[in-house]
Amino acid sequence: MSSLLGGVTLAGLVAGLVLGFGIAPREATQGNVQRIMYLHVPSVWVAYLAFAVVLVASIVYLVRRAESADRLAHASAEVGVLFTGLTIATGSIWGKPTWGTWWTWDARLTTVSILFVMYLGYLLLRGMIEDRERGARFAAVLGIVAAFNIPLVHFSVYWWRTLHQPPSLMKPGPGTMPGVIVTALLVNFAAFTLLYAYFVTRRARVLRLEAEAEA
Amino acid sequence: MTFARRAFVVVWKDLLVERRSKETLNALFFFGLLLLFVFQFALGPDRERLAGTLPGLLWLGFILSGLLGLGRTFVVERENDCWEGLLLAPGDKSAIYVGKLAGNLLLMLVIETILLVLFGFFFNLDLTNVLPALAVVIALGTVALAAVGTLFAAMTAQVRARELLFPVLLLPVEAPVLLATVKATEAVLLGETLGSVAHWLKLLAAADVVYVAVGVLTFDFVMEG
Amino acid sequence: MADHWSFVLAAYGLALIVLAAYWRFLVRRERELSEGHQVLREGSGVSEQARRPSP
Repeated sequence: MSSLLGGVTLAGLVAGLVLGFGIAPREATQGNVQRIMYLHVPSVWVAYLAFAVVLVASIVYLVRRAESADRLAHASAEVGVLFTGLTIATGSIWGKPTWGTWWTWDARLTTVSILFVMYLGYLLLRGMIEDRERGARFAAVLGIVAAFNIPLVHFSVYWWRTLHQPPSLMKPGPGTMPGVIVTALLVNFAAFTLLYAYFVTRRARVLRLEAEAEA
Repeated sequence: MTFARRAFVVVWKDLLVERRSKETLNALFFFGLLLLFVFQFALGPDRERLAGTLPGLLWLGFILSGLLGLGRTFVVERENDCWEGLLLAPGDKSAIYVGKLAGNLLLMLVIETILLVLFGFFFNLDLTNVLPALAVVIALGTVALAAVGTLFAAMTAQVRARELLFPVLLLPVEAPVLLATVKATEAVLLGETLGSVAHWLKLLAAADVVYVAVGVLTFDFVMEG
Repeated sequence: MADHWSFVLAAYGLALIVLAAYWRFLVRRERELSEGHQVLREGSGVSEQARRPSP
């Protein structure tokens, strides 16, 4: 079953690449370096999706104590951290030619960095507790705290970046982007979502096999 | 016993222990003093430059002291074999959380007052006019610190390498609180009204509500032993 | 304005390496663990045969 998912994922990724490089036009203001966005933005989306899944799985685990929920939370957190790291790296690589600097405390990079260290801490906590049941419980509590923290991080960082004015406007939308670019972006969104599902499925399976091996 | 009474018993016991030994407060007072020295040495004698970073330094002082003080929340029980007593306590264990939270708030308030006085002394500040507004900001930020700190302290108390894990878990979560409090403190110290930083205060209030609620709701899961 | 293709390549290259590495980790781990399972199952089969009493 996961090989079907894997196949579809691969197809999606290839489609995303074709659209991103072959069909989408060279962007007017930034030039071709803008194509990094097809990597960077879907990565952010996957990260948020992953952490939302961690929240739900954590709550389910605390309520029902289902090991599968715990494994899902663990796997999703790991994949989430992976894509968060990717977001930061691609954002930085995009920033160097665009803004002239490897690092800048802009809203997205700052927010994503905070998420990165939060969930890295989650993985660290899991790694440091030998007792499986306690590790699952504590991780679930941390997963809930971290998830509820995300909107707080979002707003605080955004206001921090827009300096002296309190936000009269909410987050600015994507503005007007040519239709083809939007399509390419959406296809990559879908492909990355599939990749997320594929990775989490396989990671959770590995966790289950590990648990069975220990039993 | 009612919830409130059980919470109160926890606070009262901790206060009595602290009053007899005074170890936590003494050490933290000394730590605050040392922090000020360290800040001064790290940033140089230039008064102007220091003045600009004052809000940040103040909250750095609060957070670093908080890391030490909050991290020790359950050390008394662990070191004196009273941990099982906590676990076996009948009824809703979140009463323990509320009691420990209240105790930590008191502890933080004392530390922050001391640090504020020391800051005023070393940097020659006149805080009389801004004190009420500053108190509001500090109160809102401290609740957020203590709420998560108490919960995480209960967790890390049961884990090896707790001195490492506690700051590593707490600091990222408190990042938005730090952003908000420093910005609000900055404005207040410049003499601006609380209204001008209403959005920051609302964020802090929201954080307070969320963190305390999550703490109350999840504490039982942390204390299953 | 320069197109900075080297940066685009760096970004996509990094993503490819990281994602492929994680995929390989997953595949290899799963293979190790399933083989471990196989050995256990086959092992118990052999011992059952040995324990059957000879007539």
